Amino acid sequence: MDTSKSTETETDYIAGASIFSGRPDPTWTVSLEIVERLQSLWVSLPPLDASPPQPPALGYRGCFLRDKAKQREWVAYKGAVTLQTPSESETRRDAQREFEPLLLHSAPAGLIPPQILQSEGL
Amino acid sequence: MAVKITIDMFSGRPNPVVELDAKEAKDVLERLKPTTALSGDEAEKAATPILGYRGLIVEQSGTTGVSKDLPERFRVSSGRLTGRGLAHNPADSNFEDFFFGPRGLAKKARDMKNLQSVLKTEVARAVEIRKKFILDPIAFPIFITCTCGPIYEPAWWNDGGQRQLNNNCYNYASNYRTDTFAQPGRAAGAMYSSLTCASVLPAAVKDALEDTPGANNKCPPEGHLVALVIAPNIDFHWYRKGRNGFWTHKPGSTQATNLDNSGHLILDPRTADRGMYTSFCTFMVVKHGHIKIN
Repeated sequence: MDTSKSTETETDYIAGASIFSGRPDPTWTVSLEIVERLQSLWVSLPPLDASPPQPPALGYRGCFLRDKAKQREWVAYKGAVTLQTPSESETRRDAQREFEPLLLHSAPAGLIPPQILQSEGL
Repeated sequence: MAVKITIDMFSGRPNPVVELDAKEAKDVLERLKPTTALSGDEAEKAATPILGYRGLIVEQSGTTGVSKDLPERFRVSSGRLTGRGLAHNPADSNFEDFFFGPRGLAKKARDMKNLQSVLKTEVARAVEIRKKFILDPIAFPIFITCTCGPIYEPAWWNDGGQRQLNNNCYNYASNYRTDTFAQPGRAAGAMYSSLTCASVLPAAVKDALEDTPGANNKCPPEGHLVALVIAPNIDFHWYRKGRNGFWTHKPGSTQATNLDNSGHLILDPRTADRGMYTSFCTFMVVKHGHIKIN
């Protein structure tokens, strides 16, 4: 899948975490430096042969990086990263679980409850 | 002989269908030949409806070549056969892997290219969900225990768009669609100020929900019962009791479900697996037409 850069701006990229039930989930903009690191990481990941882990109904359910300009989204949860575009979906194995913490720690301080990061080992 | 296989996975859209030629049909019926009988509650678990992929419905018709060991219509689900007079393991217990595999027959169905990756996950998920099922004995006759309770209609809420994404647990529990991710107290200008029972509960009272701490999981004569729980200083969450006496909920913008975090049906939110929502605050009553939320 195409992960090439063009004339991108930070506002093209929105990150978010799926955590809450009552409150709106947190979202934030991501610096291009972080985006580049995440995209490099994605390119290096091998395919996931097994089924991706299923999140619980309540609690932390993963995080995402959305590229509004190119209508694509990476979703990361417990060592699996899925890139979704309007036409296809591809899941890769993030054995070291690097994508998820890199994205989550790009959130402004306090936006994600520290208890969540702690309980997830992130 | 004609054999048709329906991939039973959708709630709203028509399910994809695969029609087999004679050679394929013969091979499929051979693979699905019943062997050992299922034990315990395996058949009931395999036939229990769930959201998402639920199995393959096989229909055979004609006068020659049909399998006399199998009924006209039966289900293959999580590697098991169920149908009229049928509760068995098939000769090929990995039939679904074969069917959805790279050389499988599923690819004959329309729109399969887009569904392939979803199905890979869904087939495995269905197995996991059914493993977790704990089926309680059903007492007959089944009484409608909460006459004013809302009907569990997940397909209505789980549209993957406007309704699902903009209505949260509070909307779902109060059965009140606002498309605003409703917050307790906001409509009354008295939104909660902290994520504690002491703050969220009175905010909900301002929306005209009635606090009934002594409800003890009993349906009210008017309106329906909801329950407020809190992940201390993180979030709040609501459940609602349905007409059949079971509780359901909608975690944030995700789908409405009747299962808890352990995959069990919810008979009482006080004892359900609630993950980080460890504080049970109270039961409350929603009287239809009385409340206003936003």
